[in-house]
Amino acid sequence: MFATPWLLLALPALPVLWWLLRVTPPSPAVMRFPAIRLLAGLATQPTAARTPWWLLALRLAAAALLIVGLAGPIRDPSAPLPGTGPVLLVIDNSWAAASDWPTRLQAATAILDRAEREGRSAALLATASVPAETVPAPGAVLPASAIRTQLGALRPMPWPADHRAPVLPAGAVFYVSDGIAQPGDDAFATALRVAGPVTQLQADPPTAALLRPSLDPAGTFGARLSILPHSAETRAAILAQTSAGGTLARTAVTVTAGSDGIGFTLDLPAGVRNQVGRLVVEGAPSAGSVLLLDERWRRRPVGLVAADSAADAPLTGPLFYVRRALSPTAELRDGTPPALIDGGVAALLLADTPLAGTDLLAVTKWVEAGGTLIRFAGPRLAEAPDALLPVTLLAGDRQLGGAMSWTEPAAMAPFPAASPFAGLAVPAEIRINRQVLAEPSAGLADRTWAGLADGTPLVTGANRGAGRIVLFHVSANADWSNLPLSGLFVDLLRRVVALSAGVATVADDTPLRPAEALDGFGALGPPSVSALPLSGSAIDATVASPQHPPGLYGPEAGRRALNLGSALPPLRAGGGVTAPLLGGTTERAVGPTLVASALGLLVLDLLLSLSLRGLLRPAMACLLLAAAPAMAQRRPSDNPALATRLAYIRTGDAAVDAVSAAGLAGLSALVNRRTAATLGEPASVVPGQSDLSFYPLLYWPVLPQAPPADTAALNDYIAHGGIILIDTRGAGTGEGFAPGADNALRRAAQGLNVPPLAPLGPDHVLARSFYLLNEFPGRYTGGTVWVGRDQDRSNDRVSPVVIGGHDWAAAWATDAAGRNPYATVPGGARQRVLAYRFGVNLVMYALTGNYKGDQVHIPALLERLGQ
Amino acid sequence: MTAILARHAEALAARLPPLLARSPRVANSVTAGAHARRRVGPGSSFWQFRPYASGDQPSQIDSRASAKSDRAYVRQTEWELAQTVHIWCDGSASMEWRSNTSLPTKAGRASLLLLAVSALLLRGGERVRPLGGAPAATLDRLAEAVARQPAAGLPALTDMPAHGRLLMAGDFLAPLAEIEASFRPYATRPVRGHVVQILDPAELALPYSGRVRFQGMEAEPDAIVPQVEGVRATYAAAIATQQAGLRAICDRAGWTCTVHRTDARAEDALLDLYQAIA
Repeated sequence: MFATPWLLLALPALPVLWWLLRVTPPSPAVMRFPAIRLLAGLATQPTAARTPWWLLALRLAAAALLIVGLAGPIRDPSAPLPGTGPVLLVIDNSWAAASDWPTRLQAATAILDRAEREGRSAALLATASVPAETVPAPGAVLPASAIRTQLGALRPMPWPADHRAPVLPAGAVFYVSDGIAQPGDDAFATALRVAGPVTQLQADPPTAALLRPSLDPAGTFGARLSILPHSAETRAAILAQTSAGGTLARTAVTVTAGSDGIGFTLDLPAGVRNQVGRLVVEGAPSAGSVLLLDERWRRRPVGLVAADSAADAPLTGPLFYVRRALSPTAELRDGTPPALIDGGVAALLLADTPLAGTDLLAVTKWVEAGGTLIRFAGPRLAEAPDALLPVTLLAGDRQLGGAMSWTEPAAMAPFPAASPFAGLAVPAEIRINRQVLAEPSAGLADRTWAGLADGTPLVTGANRGAGRIVLFHVSANADWSNLPLSGLFVDLLRRVVALSAGVATVADDTPLRPAEALDGFGALGPPSVSALPLSGSAIDATVASPQHPPGLYGPEAGRRALNLGSALPPLRAGGGVTAPLLGGTTERAVGPTLVASALGLLVLDLLLSLSLRGLLRPAMACLLLAAAPAMAQRRPSDNPALATRLAYIRTGDAAVDAVSAAGLAGLSALVNRRTAATLGEPASVVPGQSDLSFYPLLYWPVLPQAPPADTAALNDYIAHGGIILIDTRGAGTGEGFAPGADNALRRAAQGLNVPPLAPLGPDHVLARSFYLLNEFPGRYTGGTVWVGRDQDRSNDRVSPVVIGGHDWAAAWATDAAGRNPYATVPGGARQRVLAYRFGVNLVMYALTGNYKGDQVHIPALLERLGQ
Repeated sequence: MTAILARHAEALAARLPPLLARSPRVANSVTAGAHARRRVGPGSSFWQFRPYASGDQPSQIDSRASAKSDRAYVRQTEWELAQTVHIWCDGSASMEWRSNTSLPTKAGRASLLLLAVSALLLRGGERVRPLGGAPAATLDRLAEAVARQPAAGLPALTDMPAHGRLLMAGDFLAPLAEIEASFRPYATRPVRGHVVQILDPAELALPYSGRVRFQGMEAEPDAIVPQVEGVRATYAAAIATQQAGLRAICDRAGWTCTVHRTDARAEDALLDLYQAIA
């Protein structure tokens, strides 16, 4: 089957070509020759100069291949398109189609190709691009080539497809489905069937992945990955990214076969958590695979107030336990209640602090506007209860147990089902010795969030205006009970804080203007003009639509995220008989192959003609044929002796090695730009296998599971003047990212000849060798960097090891576009600059040894000169 | 260029012992070419005073030298030799050719050989002059003179002393009759001649193939050979005939004839010439 069969009419011209080639003798080689007089007699007997028959055959074959190839032969041609009339292309360009959009376009283009070959016109209906107020209908019926242009301009939209029944002209319907059931599917399918024979194409397995937010009251940081259930296991990776796109953490999840999704949590160090701007499913760009995080996900600031002047006294102060329970998950502030409220807090915690006067007014107003007030009882509150309590307190307190009492200290009852604490386990060893008592009233049971075994309320809570007041009937220290000593105390406080609204709580009915919107591929951009404001209360229940595209809404200070996954109904597979997107008989155009082989034959013909004329030497022919691949395969020499290079020790973890390579590449580029040193591409080495003597500096990232290194080779390297930068990659994160790396370092470096160490200070040569530095951050900062003691006179006072845990390579790393893919923690451009400066200093130190040491001695030299 | 060539030739000549021309006939009457041999002998210029010894003819006593002292002195003159080597180099366009860039051109090799022989002769105290030119005392002047020789494929007839020596280098691919006609005046004078035929290896082997259009170097008409492989044997016979004819002409004149390929070492050719002239 041929795309342009009329070109085959050129085939009868081949005999003419043959005749032309026969009558034209090959042109002779031209040669200057002094002894031509002797040849003159020999050249007189003319022989018919004929092109050899095999060369003729070669040229005819090339011409025939060219003609047939240009005629566009197609192998395995598909069956003709069904039906008559125009080809109606219906495409679900919804969010679910984005992750394999190129494949869908390819499938649609293949249909248009066939339509064009059969001379049928076409029309295109993109279901997610239909305005809400119009009846869905395809565009104008046009030639297939014009529709192909329209198809190229089509983009997936960040909302579900609109499956209202479309109005279609009669024709053959090709429906490229996203595979997700929509309301109104039946009417939609009927409308398609009415128009003509329907061919439904669908990706198999479905690739749509949707991230749904799951704000756990316990404050864990997680979400749920929803997919269409299918028979194979699905592996995915979730990235926690900053708003700027830097990746902070990555977690791998596996959805078992047949399951519709999996919930996951990201355990991030507290310092990192607030920087997370969105969660992204790796490698599947779509609006559904991006979960934008707003204020509600952030760590909430909690104001702590205590009347006791010794509130933070260890073990006895009322705020001592509270601080320890909340600090990992919340940001804690101190001050007077009005100052804290002005500064903006999500919750205010008063430990045994009765309120009065302006404080009371300010806090009352704040609670009614939506604040969460957490109070702990105590002697002062028992003495003078104020109005801001969930229940009315009886005067005085109740003593349980003790020398003068008949009663035993009371245990806690399980939490009521309606309590926000429901589901938490109550440890049996909790005993309450003393508490304040609520005045019995009709609504007391509803307000009781936790009670004692005898039914007296222990924690009560009540709404006040838009806010909430929670009262712990015991003190916040261990005087009245051992509750603050238990793990339950931490859970209780976290749940209460999680209940609080965010800092910048926008009044719920205020319309929020769309600020940034996701496109179909999950990239944030300016919202379209058709995007309408949305009220804050409705944002979680709104299904994304053209009017309300997923994105960020509201003022800069209080952005609210509208996520596709928050209100979308559960994903169900759509019905209908489907065919795979690119399945069945794939049409293969043989034309390009034929034309290419014709060109190959022509090249061969050229070489043969040249050789017949004596213009081609065998060596030159080989050179011509071998030149192209040889050029492609030429690589710069990686002989380590030809350039100065930095090197890293291979850990076996591909991700870590890639970071090390990228980091050293970034550092080398900076050193080349800023200094006179010229460094080559960084190398990777394995001690004991590679020759280390070529490298001035080794970077050694130590993994928690690192096996013992070949210390003999490293000792030899150190003994001959090498410097090793040992990085445990986790200092300053509270072992958050590299737990166990320090132990691993002890294990891995056992037997390494490390000299006596001292902290690296600003007086060390390393802090002076190029830039003047006072700190030495990498991706993290705050840890101590250790170097050999300055007094150590061996090796010219050059420290053979630099040990730290700032994950320098990640800070130095640059990707192909020159950006830094790893965010610095706590962050900022300054930290990155300092990290690079430390790297430059280290390279200078490794290259120049103690040469720069004179700068450190300048004060001493000046002093000596003065004498 | 000529200076470089002269240095090359000097370096080449330095490897052979000084070449002294031994002419079988030395005629004092030959005016041209008489020059000192730096030893005592018949000549016109003063060489030394020697104390009178018995057996010397009294007429040889020099009165002036003897009057200065008590002893009698005999005046001796320097031995003068009348032997000049004329050199001729083929200056035709066909000499400026080489089949391969790694080889020297025939003209280059011919000049080199001639100048190297000249250097040897000059070092031995002989006199060298280009055919039809003025005598040149130094190699540099000689190189310039060789470079200025007329662009002719065969030596023109010039006035040359009898019993002189003529050293000719060229490809000698002209028709044999023309070669003989050009040699005959010299052979009958008589002149002792040495012919060096310098050929490129490609001129001997014809290492081409296929259909080739050969272009001449001296405005000859082109020759198209449809199948060079087919005529290679015929051509070899033709070139062999040419060489045999040249050798026959030389033999008839009592001259020597050597063949030199440009891919051979110049030292070997120089040795051949040394043996021919010495």
